[in-house]
Amino acid sequence: MSEPMTDTDRPILETRSLAKRFSIGSRFSAEGRRTVHAVDNVSLTVRRGETVGLVGESGCGKSTLARCLVRLHDITDGKLLFEGDDITSKSLSELRPLRRRLQMVFQDPSASLNPRRRVGDLVAEPLRIHGKLPSAEIKKRVAGLFELVGLLPDHVMRYPHELSGGQRQRVGIARAIALNPDLVVLDEPVSALDVSVQAQIVNLLADLQEKLKLTYIFIAHDLSVVRQISTRIAVMYLGSIVEEGPAEEVFAAPAHPYSQALISAVPVVETTPGGTRKRIILAGDVPSPLKPPSGCRFHPRCPIAAERCRSERPELKEYRPGRKVACHFPTLT
Amino acid sequence: MILSVRDLRVSFRTNEGLVRAIDGVSFDLEESEILGVVGESGSGKTVSLLAVMGLITDPNAVIDGSIRYKGRELVGLPPRELRRLRGNEIAMIFQDPMTALTPVYTIGWQIAEQIRAHRGVSKAKAMQRVEQLLAEVNFPNPHEAMSRYPHQLSGGMRQRAVIAMALSCDPALLVADEPTTALDVTVQAGILDLVRKLRATHKSAVVFITHDMGVVSELADRVMVMYAGRVVERGTRTELFSDPRHPYTRALLGSIPPLTGDKPRRLPAIPGSPPSLLRLPQGCAFGPRCPVRYEPCEADKPSLGSGAHAAACFREAQA
Repeated sequence: MSEPMTDTDRPILETRSLAKRFSIGSRFSAEGRRTVHAVDNVSLTVRRGETVGLVGESGCGKSTLARCLVRLHDITDGKLLFEGDDITSKSLSELRPLRRRLQMVFQDPSASLNPRRRVGDLVAEPLRIHGKLPSAEIKKRVAGLFELVGLLPDHVMRYPHELSGGQRQRVGIARAIALNPDLVVLDEPVSALDVSVQAQIVNLLADLQEKLKLTYIFIAHDLSVVRQISTRIAVMYLGSIVEEGPAEEVFAAPAHPYSQALISAVPVVETTPGGTRKRIILAGDVPSPLKPPSGCRFHPRCPIAAERCRSERPELKEYRPGRKVACHFPTLT
Repeated sequence: MILSVRDLRVSFRTNEGLVRAIDGVSFDLEESEILGVVGESGSGKTVSLLAVMGLITDPNAVIDGSIRYKGRELVGLPPRELRRLRGNEIAMIFQDPMTALTPVYTIGWQIAEQIRAHRGVSKAKAMQRVEQLLAEVNFPNPHEAMSRYPHQLSGGMRQRAVIAMALSCDPALLVADEPTTALDVTVQAGILDLVRKLRATHKSAVVFITHDMGVVSELADRVMVMYAGRVVERGTRTELFSDPRHPYTRALLGSIPPLTGDKPRRLPAIPGSPPSLLRLPQGCAFGPRCPVRYEPCEADKPSLGSGAHAAACFREAQA
């Protein structure tokens, strides 16, 4: 689609105090109906051409947020803007033209690909639905996409189970980029792959981003992979963003005590014996999003929590251009 | 010597032919030593340890070689005898604690069951021991936790309960199969700390299976790298990480993105994917993906050699 060139600073996607709550349980159960605060008050701006990495422990709401961003979940509260256009409550038919520009790659390619269809068909499907192209043209496009993601031409006739995990994920990626999207949300795209194959896919994603001028939102629990691919990082805890900033800065000097603990917990290969890093081990577990703690949600596990943290919830504040942190006592450098 | 495995081979008869999951694995384990076993899916790391535990019950499995536990041969031992060892002297921690625990009994009951089965103590005595064990694996409120069901605990707590169960009879050998893979890094850090501490207090030898080089480098005394059913490199932690000799080990270490310092523009990736065990190449299994392969690699499988730090590679033998 031809569209006016915009400068790179213009946000392609923006959320304003976005929240997603789920109701669980039944009125007849002992606890009654309860609310899970899966995503809470998230304001995130994604600019054209960048890769925003979302990190956090399981249950922190990063996948729910990703699904909200492409409207696979309905949004409970707040606003979602795509190129300045409010799409928070657009109907499915109104969303359809947007879908081609907003795509998603899922974690497990063997679950997201229909096992009974040939992978060539699977990649052609979005072209048939959105492209209205003649079938010869579709065939040509599919061949081009296969080449682009590093699959062989004769893979077109294979079924998903006949491919390796890495090849299946390449099919998932080909499907997502078939319609020349602007933004691709990648939810743990390399976690299900063998270690020796992960680097290939990370490189492929970086190449595609450069060639196709894609914007990525990248979710993974492997922090070193996130650092490699992201230009910006948002650290989430219990549904909210607690820190945000350029990837390398956040990793080199995390300001929020939670980010510090998270990054310090990553096991790294030490080639020099005895050179172990300082590790912060957090007490306890992530609290239930059914009953989030008062004040700062991290305070029950925080090594530097003070009285104020128990009562007053810190806001996500920009303390330096591009660096935001939600903490009363951040480590600023 | 706690454990001595010699030339272990495990094959499975399938419709598509014989699959050799383990092809000649040998290793030794000393008292209170941690051996890290690294490999990808299908490398045989889990199967080799299941064989050690006598847990391969598939009638189509063929197990060859020798597994000696404290000098006693385990291959061919009757199931009754094995059961006396398992859970008692040899304990195992699995990847997914939810499947290792039964959902219908409390944590306390399940751990006590194991103690009573092997030690023949009274229920009250066993329960006392359970409380001690839960405290040892850092349950904040062990007495209360005993009456909890697995679904009432978080993933990290469940894995701690499984570890407490594994330790209940003071095993001489503890086999941990990817015990932290399903856990978050912050929880993983706590579990790794715990394993280190328990090795010191219980003097158990530990075999720790993982696909994560970082975990191995933080925990293991010695490391064994597996690929397609064979050991491709072994050595002490320092030897292996500061001087990796097998091209696979080197490539695997190189493909991990750094957590600090400069980001490479592209990651040095390993081409291709791990081979299917049904269609292994005639020569070195890593050959088709290897950057330094040459003619000998296509004809024969390189052997590991006998050194303490050894790599199964023709290039290495040549050097």
